[in-house]
Amino acid sequence: MAKRSIFLYLAIAVAIVWSIFPIYWFCRMAFLTPNEIRLFPQPFMPQVFEFGTFYNIFGYDYEYAAGYVSGASGQSNQIIRGVLNGLFISSIVTVITLLIVVPLAYVFARMEFRHKQKLLFAVLLAVALPPVSTLIPFYSMYVQLGLNGTRFGLIVVTLTITVPFVAWMLIGYFRNLPPIERLARIDGYSRTSCLLTLILPLAKSGIAVAAVIAFLFSWNEYTYALVLVNGTSANTLPTAISGFLGQYPEPGNLAASVIVTIIPPALFAYFLQRHVTEMSLVDPVR
Amino acid sequence: MAVGSAGQAIQASTPSRKPRREMSDTRFAFLIGLPVLVFLMLVVAYPLGYAIYMSLHQIVFFGGYRANFVGLKNFIDVWSDKSFINAIWITLRFTVESVVLTMILGLCLASIMNQRIRMAGLVRTLLFLPWCVSSYAAGLMFGQLVRGQTGILTTISFTFGGTQGVDLMGRATVVEVLAVANAWLMAPLVAFFLLANMKTIPKRLYDLAAIDRLTAWETFRYVTLPPLQFTLFVFASITTVLSMKMFDMILIMTGGGPGTASATLTYQIYKRSFKDLNLGYGAAMSFYLLFFILGATFLIYLVWGRRVSR
Repeated sequence: MAKRSIFLYLAIAVAIVWSIFPIYWFCRMAFLTPNEIRLFPQPFMPQVFEFGTFYNIFGYDYEYAAGYVSGASGQSNQIIRGVLNGLFISSIVTVITLLIVVPLAYVFARMEFRHKQKLLFAVLLAVALPPVSTLIPFYSMYVQLGLNGTRFGLIVVTLTITVPFVAWMLIGYFRNLPPIERLARIDGYSRTSCLLTLILPLAKSGIAVAAVIAFLFSWNEYTYALVLVNGTSANTLPTAISGFLGQYPEPGNLAASVIVTIIPPALFAYFLQRHVTEMSLVDPVR
Repeated sequence: MAVGSAGQAIQASTPSRKPRREMSDTRFAFLIGLPVLVFLMLVVAYPLGYAIYMSLHQIVFFGGYRANFVGLKNFIDVWSDKSFINAIWITLRFTVESVVLTMILGLCLASIMNQRIRMAGLVRTLLFLPWCVSSYAAGLMFGQLVRGQTGILTTISFTFGGTQGVDLMGRATVVEVLAVANAWLMAPLVAFFLLANMKTIPKRLYDLAAIDRLTAWETFRYVTLPPLQFTLFVFASITTVLSMKMFDMILIMTGGGPGTASATLTYQIYKRSFKDLNLGYGAAMSFYLLFFILGATFLIYLVWGRRVSR
């Protein structure tokens, strides 16, 4: 038994290092001094941990203990706006996606009806569309409709990504749930109350994961945002960050803002992850 | 599956068309599904139609915008384009490697998270972190991690007395590096769905396996794995689609390089459309990509999905 637990803890350690290390190696740059960044080979760890770059990207100067001052980043307005827009857009997209997808996935997973295969194929087609090929059409459509650089426009585009994708995942998930609503239907429940009072509580964990996924897709969407809202008042964090990649590379600020992009989804995931594992299905049929 | 057949038996025993005033399943399904599908059709159909229009034209910007109808010329020309053939090959390599790695990693992570451990919530959150990283940020991170100038391998090599940097971004390994980064990014998602599925396996079966003195591997192979088949199939398809569509990570990490060593189809489409401004040609390429994606998903369904989805 002792041998098994040593193996287990070793495996956990390896898995954690695997998951964390690439993030650490990049984000450590936020704490390196400009001189350390230029070193070859690069150090494992910064000498001192100071949060100067975080002040910089949100528009404040910071005086390091070593005596020098790093100036506020020119991108700070974009970053702040990106955070606010990102939270706003992602929350709305998450809510709308769930409202649309949960009944849809339920219907596709649990009911037999005509044209079902064709409709499933339509969903698959929407998932398979590569964004690179719809970029120009979307752009020209948005110019005509005056939706360029608006948050509403970005929400609509993002929904075309999240809805089919999350639907596809949830359909598979709903199929695996025990078919108790059939029994409930015999007892005279209507379809709607089956969905609301039986399926929703049962599928809580799947819906939680779907919420995380919709939020992440929306929060991290880069390709469309770059073309449709970059540089406008509706820009999101990913596009704001790409400003650091341009002519004046500021690795420290870049790393700091990447950390900022990871924090909200990580918090969101932390609060929702327990739903995944609290699920212990009591199967009424078996 | 026992559950499914029991459910079907129940359904079969009730009349499928109810004499009461309730609407039929089909109508209920359409009522819920139709608005969504109409929205998707409108928002997806227009860009799709526009892309078809572009692919049938030669679009010229210099000397005034012109769109000359050229029929299927773009679709045919593509096949005599070396970079297109090269891109198909690289996309195939990238996708197969990504999917296989993601599935294996997902199973490993899920098995670890399925153990009873202390601070399980923290461990789960840490293992979930890569999925919180966006694909462009993952591109930045892995670029930093493996490039000779800034990479971890260089630092390690110097720590142990080496004198040269280690660079994995060379021609030979750049696709593998991209696939590893992609698998790193997608594995937590797969792992979480597998974990949710593992939790539904009755504990009784593990007790039986223990009585039969199955080894850990046999238990995994014959008790844990079979119920996961359907989820594995679904995610094999999903990761295939995501890998073939992957663009921003590749753009940021390698920019298709060195040379064209990591120029996947998505990258070639981007290059043709946005750099060479050859919109019709790029659109034609993107339809081939769409066909390949659909083809790959169907192939997976034919060889695997049909067996496990019943």
